[in-house]
Amino acid sequence: MQAPDRDEAGEGSEAEAAGGESSGSREGDDASGVGGQGAEGEAAGAPQAGQGPQALGPGGDAAPAPVAAASRLLEFTLTVPFRSPLEADMARRSLAPHAQRHGGVVHKELAVNGSALAVRWTAEDPVFFRISINSFLDQLSLVIRNIRGFGTPPPRSLGPGKRS
Amino acid sequence: MPAQRPWQLGGQILEGALLGRRDDGGGAGAGVRALEPFGARPGARFCLAPGVLSLPARSGIRGPARPGGSQPCRRFLSVSAMPAVLGFEGSANKIGVGVVRDGAVLANPRRTYVTPPGTGFLPGDTARHHRAVILDLLQEALTEAGLTSQDIDCIAYTKGPGMGAPLVSVAVVARTVAQLWNKPLLGVNHCIGHIEMGRLITGATSPTVLYVSGGNTQVIAYSEHRYRIFGETIDIAVGNCLDRFARVLKISNDPSPGYNIEQMAKRGKKLVELPYTVKGMDVSFSGILSFIEDVAQRMLATGECTPEDLCFSLQETVFAMLVEITERAMAHCGSQEALIVGGVGCNLRLQEMMETMCQERGARLFATDERFCIDNGAMIAQAGWEMFRAGHRTPLSDSGITQRYRTDEVEVTWRD
Repeated sequence: MQAPDRDEAGEGSEAEAAGGESSGSREGDDASGVGGQGAEGEAAGAPQAGQGPQALGPGGDAAPAPVAAASRLLEFTLTVPFRSPLEADMARRSLAPHAQRHGGVVHKELAVNGSALAVRWTAEDPVFFRISINSFLDQLSLVIRNIRGFGTPPPRSLGPGKRS
Repeated sequence: MPAQRPWQLGGQILEGALLGRRDDGGGAGAGVRALEPFGARPGARFCLAPGVLSLPARSGIRGPARPGGSQPCRRFLSVSAMPAVLGFEGSANKIGVGVVRDGAVLANPRRTYVTPPGTGFLPGDTARHHRAVILDLLQEALTEAGLTSQDIDCIAYTKGPGMGAPLVSVAVVARTVAQLWNKPLLGVNHCIGHIEMGRLITGATSPTVLYVSGGNTQVIAYSEHRYRIFGETIDIAVGNCLDRFARVLKISNDPSPGYNIEQMAKRGKKLVELPYTVKGMDVSFSGILSFIEDVAQRMLATGECTPEDLCFSLQETVFAMLVEITERAMAHCGSQEALIVGGVGCNLRLQEMMETMCQERGARLFATDERFCIDNGAMIAQAGWEMFRAGHRTPLSDSGITQRYRTDEVEVTWRD
């Protein structure tokens, strides 16, 4: 589990405990836009605050680095493997309606890459950022338990309301 | 768990209905308020259980859709003749999963998140509670109903109104289950769930509805395919007023603060004059709460009154206000039926006062017991059953929740 911001390590471990198989996206080695952007985002925004290399002051302490006028953009990427693409898509559809619950303060993208659900958050406000991630992890845990507890999904070829 | 399904027991279920129970778990069967608590009051008009077990007059073949109706009737032809709907409710501190099939409640287990005396329930903690128990409740409902996923025709859930985090937790499970079992999904208005369950259980045809709970206080009447709000609270709900007063006195929240206030009120002897705030068709409770919170400490400290007196006085005042606005709505509509729904509707004193008013008007009062007054999954399933048969569907992409969902936002296409 990788997180671009040092505050998010705890939440990352929660996801791992909940899903049992989650990992942060770090390399843009898949075809999804989420993973690729995540790599760029992590590289550029860990944190993205325009913090340059710190120079030593006269007393040997680190001198305050010039802070860019641009606001700090926080980013977190999560990849959760499922047993099949169907399950991953099911989880996405269960969790997606709440993608924009924080009125645009936190931007969240969900995508399915093979059998994995990929989620990326971007935000400037660290409080809403953390709330959104924590909330999502709680819901994700519930969805995973739900899928595992109530059987495998029927084939997609059947229409709604028809029994398998 | 009953050995036979309720509709198989026929008239015998009346005895089971009158027993009732106050603990969690709504159970299957009728939930009509018995006449006994009101003694031999002449002219008392309560709907008794026998009408509950027969198929309601509302079921059966629907007529053709009205011109311009939003839901094509053709879809009805593809629906099972006896659809079974699974309903999820979790908008406040009660989480319930119910199963309804063609007017019969097959299962209705429920859990309540109870906080320590002097405290209320917060959204995050409540949602955590719901997430911890909802899957067990789902299995319990299926087992109690004797059904499998293949027997369920539709998944209904509370779309709103209510508390955000608990609503989300329940909606997530509903969406997942709908996909797992490949069933259509229906988002239901919580208030309409109460109304439709009240209509089902009591058999009331077109009543003026007093909907009173911890989160809502509305006087509602049906007209032109909408449940119209004739009057409501302009600030807090009556149940919220009672609950917050209970915190002041550190009254236990188990099984609910309102129930404990009701029991204490029975021992009250002195009426403390409180503000009486009716504004036309509407009511206001925040000022009464502020007032009683202020005087409670002083009067209790000086011994002017007891906590029981305060509970009694608060109930008498707020319930009289509710009776007034209900009567005003009944007079406006020319209605001869009144139906009380919502958690506060369990209160026997409120039912008694409403019954007095109805009696004076020559009207009938309908009420249910705690199994169906208090938030429960079966009421969502019942409203979902009506909507499902009328052709309503909620696409997954549109299956979010909303904390503010007005009763009159829903087009009631399943009624004439």
